[in-house]
Amino acid sequence: MQRLVYRYALLTRLAHWFGAIAVAVLISSGLQIFNAAPYLDAADRSTPTRRVLSIDSPADGIGRTTIFGHSFTTTGFLGWGSDGNGGEGARAFPGWLTIPAYQDLADGRRWHFFFAWIASLAWLSWLVSSAVKGNLAEMILRPSDLHKLWPMQAYYLRLRRDPPPHGSYNPLQKAAYTFVLLVLAPLILLTGLALSPGIDAIAHPLTMIFGGRQFARLWHFVGMLLFVGFVCVHIFQVLTQGFFNQMRSMISGWYRLREHESVGP
Amino acid sequence: MKRRLFLASSIAAALAGCSPIGTALNDNAGFHHALGLEGSLDAALMENLPGLAREYSIADISKNFPVDSLPTPTSVTYDRLLAHDFQSYTLAVVGAVERPLSLSLAQLQRMPQQTQITRHDCVEGWSAIGAWTGVPLRRILQFARPHRDARYAIFRCMDRDDQGTPYYESLDMAQAYQAQTLLALRLNGEAIRPDHGAPVRLRVPTQLGYKSAKWVREIQIVGSFAHLYGGKGGYWEDQGYEWYAGI
Repeated sequence: MQRLVYRYALLTRLAHWFGAIAVAVLISSGLQIFNAAPYLDAADRSTPTRRVLSIDSPADGIGRTTIFGHSFTTTGFLGWGSDGNGGEGARAFPGWLTIPAYQDLADGRRWHFFFAWIASLAWLSWLVSSAVKGNLAEMILRPSDLHKLWPMQAYYLRLRRDPPPHGSYNPLQKAAYTFVLLVLAPLILLTGLALSPGIDAIAHPLTMIFGGRQFARLWHFVGMLLFVGFVCVHIFQVLTQGFFNQMRSMISGWYRLREHESVGP
Repeated sequence: MKRRLFLASSIAAALAGCSPIGTALNDNAGFHHALGLEGSLDAALMENLPGLAREYSIADISKNFPVDSLPTPTSVTYDRLLAHDFQSYTLAVVGAVERPLSLSLAQLQRMPQQTQITRHDCVEGWSAIGAWTGVPLRRILQFARPHRDARYAIFRCMDRDDQGTPYYESLDMAQAYQAQTLLALRLNGEAIRPDHGAPVRLRVPTQLGYKSAKWVREIQIVGSFAHLYGGKGGYWEDQGYEWYAGI
């Protein structure tokens, strides 16, 4: 017997889709902002000797990416690529990855800060409502879940017939959502705030715990990369675990249970 | 498998669509204006918070302070000032003040000096630390005595872009009276170099670098900046950057 269960509350679904759009805009406008100073230093002030990443164009038609002192030719993608106006030019991230496509720091900042509010409010409303309703407690990874992480991974890798017993969320889901929603998302917000001189003036410790302004810029970028990694795994899971059913449940709330499947997501 | 391929390619298309859709919206005047409203929200939340920029030690000073602005003025007037070590330079304080001032460089140098080692945060993303010495702006305003209805200090500068448009900036009175807002005469113990804004540049360490105007020649106290140039209160503001530059 298959039956429909109401899996996601309206607020959760709204927060998910507002968050998804906001994150897409934040990444593309963030790359636009990065392009204005396409390097990251592990220091407070700009310090070339502590440069972790730089993307530049040493000569016309050549793009170069340097990570921890190791240079790679990345022509056509990083350093030299689409200028967003139909041509090519020296650009850290290419036009097809940035908002707007052409180089415009002022507009990139407008997009980034506008959608930072949307992402933050979506995150906060989800956090408060799921904490109040008690769903948050089911989702948080606990020490008692740790020994179930590998059995769950083994099940996904088809090394094990059955998943370990778990509640609404399996141990890997708990680990992923706890890390992304309760650790990574707030860290990305805080490292972003730490970049602002006005915020730094009222909260020196915020900037300094991340190692200073340039270091905060590096953490903000690394946080983005980790988030992109999560999104890739997340989309893969949705594609492979019954795409239409998953999409319906995040749009209408209703999920069709498969045989032997527990009620939770 | 075909279905998965179709789904994967639609998601790839959706991701690749992000930039063109965003760019099209960016070029839409109404949407672009709506995006800008967020800047007013930030300004309302932030601009009157107390807070002082962090002060550093001598060991933290950047070895090479970047020069990243409009080019050093090349006008006959500036060349003449430079050739005579700015002896004939005057800083004018005009507009809605009880006592308009005209201060020579020597007079500015004789006023009590403040040194701050602060970080300059460029809107592009880089930062540099320098030791700035000069006259706190509030001391000059205390001499000039702005009218009660004065709202902004406009800084008119000697540099121009390649279209001939002069650089200018503005601060509201609270920002102008802030303890660290400085008319800097020296950087790292030496007279400011021409490319760093000689002889007098503004330092506003609680905001992004474009507020810290170089080559200041006149401070005008006004009730509104809507009639000046693009009407947004600054050279970069007229090109879309936020007037409140603390974010």
